[in-house]
Amino acid sequence: MYNNILILLGGPQGSGLESSAQILSKTFARLGYGLFADREYFSNIKGRHSYIHMRISSKGLPVSLSYPVQILCAMDAETFFTHFQDVEEKGVIVYDVSTLSTKYSAIPSIEPGLRERLRVSFSEFGLDGSISSLIRYLKAVKKTRFIGLDYQKILSELSQKFTLSPAHASRYLSSIIVGAIVGLTGLKLDAVAYALASRFAGRPQLIEHNMFIIESVSKTVMKEFGTLCELEPSANSLEKMLVSSGNDVIAMAKIVGGLRFQSYYPITPAADESFTLETFERLEVDGESLGSLIVIQTEDEIAAICSAIGASLSGVRSSTSTSGPGFSLMVEALGYAGQIESPVVITYYQRGAPSTGQPTRGGQSDLLFTLYASHGEFPRIVLSSGDHLEAFYDTILALNLSERYNVPVIHLLDKFLANSIVTTPLPEISKVKIDRGKTVFEKPDFKRFDLSRPISLRTFLGSNIIQWAAGDEHDEYGHIDEDPLNRRKMYEKRMKKLEIIDSEVPVEERAIFYGQDDARLVMIGWGSVKGVALDAVKEMELSGIKCGYLHLKMFSPFPSEYVKSILSKFKPENLVAVEHNYLAQASQLVRQQTGILIGNSIVKYTGRPIYLSELVNALNRILNGERRVVLEYGA
Amino acid sequence: MVRSPNDYRTDVWVDWCPGCGNYGILAALYKAFAELQLDPTNTVIVSGIGCSGKTPHFVKVNGIHTLHGRAIAFASGIKLANPNLTVMVHGGDGDLMGIGLGHFIALGRKNLDIKVMLHDNRVYGLTKGQASPTLSKGLRTKSLAQPNILNSLNPVALALVSGYTFVARGYSMLSEHLKNLIIAAIKHKGSAFIDILQPCVTYNDIHTPEYYRKKVYFLEEDGWNPMVREGEESDKLLNAIKRSFEEERIPIGIFYQNNFKQTLEESYSQRISSYFKTIPPWQKISKDDGSPIFDEILFEKMFEEYIVRVERSQ
Repeated sequence: MYNNILILLGGPQGSGLESSAQILSKTFARLGYGLFADREYFSNIKGRHSYIHMRISSKGLPVSLSYPVQILCAMDAETFFTHFQDVEEKGVIVYDVSTLSTKYSAIPSIEPGLRERLRVSFSEFGLDGSISSLIRYLKAVKKTRFIGLDYQKILSELSQKFTLSPAHASRYLSSIIVGAIVGLTGLKLDAVAYALASRFAGRPQLIEHNMFIIESVSKTVMKEFGTLCELEPSANSLEKMLVSSGNDVIAMAKIVGGLRFQSYYPITPAADESFTLETFERLEVDGESLGSLIVIQTEDEIAAICSAIGASLSGVRSSTSTSGPGFSLMVEALGYAGQIESPVVITYYQRGAPSTGQPTRGGQSDLLFTLYASHGEFPRIVLSSGDHLEAFYDTILALNLSERYNVPVIHLLDKFLANSIVTTPLPEISKVKIDRGKTVFEKPDFKRFDLSRPISLRTFLGSNIIQWAAGDEHDEYGHIDEDPLNRRKMYEKRMKKLEIIDSEVPVEERAIFYGQDDARLVMIGWGSVKGVALDAVKEMELSGIKCGYLHLKMFSPFPSEYVKSILSKFKPENLVAVEHNYLAQASQLVRQQTGILIGNSIVKYTGRPIYLSELVNALNRILNGERRVVLEYGA
Repeated sequence: MVRSPNDYRTDVWVDWCPGCGNYGILAALYKAFAELQLDPTNTVIVSGIGCSGKTPHFVKVNGIHTLHGRAIAFASGIKLANPNLTVMVHGGDGDLMGIGLGHFIALGRKNLDIKVMLHDNRVYGLTKGQASPTLSKGLRTKSLAQPNILNSLNPVALALVSGYTFVARGYSMLSEHLKNLIIAAIKHKGSAFIDILQPCVTYNDIHTPEYYRKKVYFLEEDGWNPMVREGEESDKLLNAIKRSFEEERIPIGIFYQNNFKQTLEESYSQRISSYFKTIPPWQKISKDDGSPIFDEILFEKMFEEYIVRVERSQ
């Protein structure tokens, strides 16, 4: 019996893999298991290889992924070829018996690099390149256990039973995989029914058809092969779990945080958040409307940020969501928001960059860009989140800080978080507070840029006040003013906000140290490095090596004093930057802000997540004297 | 209190060149605002960059002086967040027809109730007289090193095909006529556009007051009726486009007005019933103690589809 299992399921993009992941995640959650699932896909609508890599745990909620996996479920031959090396010894591979004679060389969607690596492996193993030869090899060498199913036969049973056309029946292909996993892990069909009812509410036929396949496949698997990877009953105590992607959890947070305006231009991996917001635009509960949320798809990202700033001037909480290419276009308006001291929140999901880069893959290479984007100097907040729940609270924090200090806030996330489906406890809404800063709606001779207080009062367009604003240097009213002494005062007032924020925002919102002073190695990371780093700390502890992790969250203003107080206890050779970029950008910032040198780095920029197995291995290499380890595992 | 045109003046010194066409636009604006008795706190002028960009500083209503080409984008957010505001954009021909052209077209598609005033002097004044998108090919205004090598575009025709439901052309020196156009534009419900021809006394020595005096005539002189009657939208549109290309004599007045198209605000309110009831800025987002209106119970109801109730196996 397993208390922790890793599964990889793959198939062609557009063949239902994503809804399989949703069904599986809800099924596991229904039975109390924790789940963490990463979705990897090409920038492609149909046909290219995509896969879902998940960890299921009966003890606690998983926060990282690792290799090898125990189960590989292949919807097609490409998945088999791409991932067979990811399966552990004696692991299980589910495959379609009709692909037995398929050779890797006949699959056009396999990219040249992988094709060449396969060619080398196959000639090394002395195989002819077919699935059947590979099965023979894996059985002999890795004792892999195989579950061969006739996918076409299963689909034609469905099509006969419900008199569906073959084309219609083929849409249920991915349910075969779900059925196999249900059978292999011994899940109850009641839980599957619950997940299906939740996923396909109001569409009884879809529920029936999916259930038919899942039930018949899982029974076949159990009968003919046994429950090879039976999961222990869950020991988690949660009664309710939130099962959501990062995009969705942030959308929920924006609604709780009182967002009333969201603008966006379609871009991966940010657009799903706006889509979710739009589905909730009526803010209706039990038929009662609690407000209105305007979500607008603008003509470009420039219009997205400008209209969000405009909405903020009208007095609503507003934000825009984007990724690197979109943020590149928003940069001029970012400076404008800083100059006219307007609140606005930019939710920034990093992806593989530069340029178009890897639109559907992850990365953390935009940190320095967010800190320095736009000409001139102005106060900004750059806040990043390490996991779904952190992202929930940080989204509301971003809205609060933006209005409290009248500054633009960049909430920095990444694709890994955006697209991963994770089980978490429900957010504690009672811990959340709304802080709109100081506002005034009635005041003769109003000065929007009043120099007599560190943070000027904000008003709404349409209140009983007239206000002006200009991107030009301005006087207290907002009219253009180039007087050198006024310039100095205005400039300093804006920039001093950084000191005020630094002194007022609690340090626990800005950096968290997990570990003790006697750690042999302290990792320094941010964003979705958090989960895998924390798991690596535990894993290293098992082999007797104490490690720690410093999780950086706010980069502007940077919590220099706190970070210095933690890191100065260690020597540079005991510090390791762990980041998804080449330069180890956060470690450069630490050096700049604290003078502390982080002597080692573990970096990954393939666009795939950092896996626990490779991180632990890299930490051991650092302990053995290597200074820089570049990770590259994952298809 | 009755407001006079003077009540809409700020005490900011107007720093346009003596004789600038903008003075006529500003005078027409004061008069139009006074005639409509616009509430300054409920009115917003949004501008871009250039000589026209300074307009909001001279008018005692809310004024947001934004980025080059982006005034419409800012204005769109302002208006959508508070649909009760009267929102007007002022931009130059470089601003609205050059760098900000995408937003100009997008506003027509939206039919959002924003009034766009194009200060059209065919040159980039504040950067010393470069050719703008409305300067015809082959013309060489005062500070050009060579004759203009690019073709010009026709702002009125562009507004018409973009979907603006009120399209007019005025002339800055005919201030009374312009004032009436501005009033009609403000009263119109939907995206409204006025192409305001204006001399640039410093950099445009071709399109001078003398030039316009000879060329300009009123559309209504030959009985043009801009109002779209139900079912005749495309005929009216095609004829209006045709008239916008008259060159020998330049027609001014209202080319096109369509009162049958739904505005973007109306479309949203149809989908979200509470949108107009309590406009977004005045909607409650937190309780008196600062906690969000979405408490735990409402959260669970709202996001039910993401919440799984665990049923532990025995």
